[in-house]
Amino acid sequence: MTDDEIIDTINRALVKEFELDKKKMLSDAHLFDTLELDSLDMVDMVIVLENAFKFKITEEKEIREIRTLGDIHNFVIKKSNEIRKGS
Amino acid sequence: MPFAGNFSILLINLTVFPLLILMTLVGIIISPFAFLFFKLIGNLDRVKIIRYFVWIYGKGWLAIIKPFTGLTASGFRRGEIPTPCIIVLNHLSFFDTFFMGVLPFSNVCFALRSWPFKMAWYHPFMKLAQYLDVERLSWDETLTASKKILNDGGVLLLFPEAHRSRDGRMGRFYSGAFKISISTNYPIVPLCITGTGELLPPGRWYLKPAKVKIKALAPVYPDAFTGENGHIEMRKHVKALIADEVERMR
Repeated sequence: MTDDEIIDTINRALVKEFELDKKKMLSDAHLFDTLELDSLDMVDMVIVLENAFKFKITEEKEIREIRTLGDIHNFVIKKSNEIRKGS
Repeated sequence: MPFAGNFSILLINLTVFPLLILMTLVGIIISPFAFLFFKLIGNLDRVKIIRYFVWIYGKGWLAIIKPFTGLTASGFRRGEIPTPCIIVLNHLSFFDTFFMGVLPFSNVCFALRSWPFKMAWYHPFMKLAQYLDVERLSWDETLTASKKILNDGGVLLLFPEAHRSRDGRMGRFYSGAFKISISTNYPIVPLCITGTGELLPPGRWYLKPAKVKIKALAPVYPDAFTGENGHIEMRKHVKALIADEVERMR
């Protein structure tokens, strides 16, 4: 998967699961202020990403530091690269 | 006819608001005495007495508003809604909560965002009724309080959209109510409301006559929704039920 494909997969999964407005899916969109997600959604987001990318997310500290959609993109791209290098 | 339309708008506003203010003032004045009466005569629980007062207030609202809304309610006969349960309803207007006077029981705890708690004339009643300010409480605190309410035989009422609809369309549903259902094993009862968005939508300060309909759907039990995605699937299922019914009711 290219980085663009990863970003597209993330955006589509989040739009579908959280009924988000596609027009608001910008890298600098703040998860709480712009996309109006709440703390429970952040837990659900981990499940959604795990299902979309078929890997386990155990990096609790990094997840807690996520603030924007771009942070999610970067986290998943980094994680995908690590898995690719490891396999 | 514009004249008839304007006249009915004038009539509803000149009738409903003064009566609502009067009912609120009378309620504030007599409630301490009524509270003492219930406490001394029946030795009832403080929280349940206040929730009963709120329910009676809702009944008063229904009496005031019915001539202007032709209110129809179905699914609210005693025994049709299991208790304890978690009621979720779509949200169109400030007055949606007032219409909960249609419920066949009074021990209802509203879980709301912070702003309704800021209305000075309702605040003491909301605090005494132990309504949940879900914006202020953490998730763990909300879940603990919800478990207590339900285990004590109460009914929890939430707006899963969190906000009133700005365009009449149903917003996204948040997961809290469904996580509570799965965590406590009490059912969700979906409620559908239409017409209150025409009566008083967000951003308008005067009422317009509107046909208001409220319907309680069959309970949805959490045992059918298992696994870590259970609450997400339950949320989607309940939202689809409400959306379909709201479409039929319009």
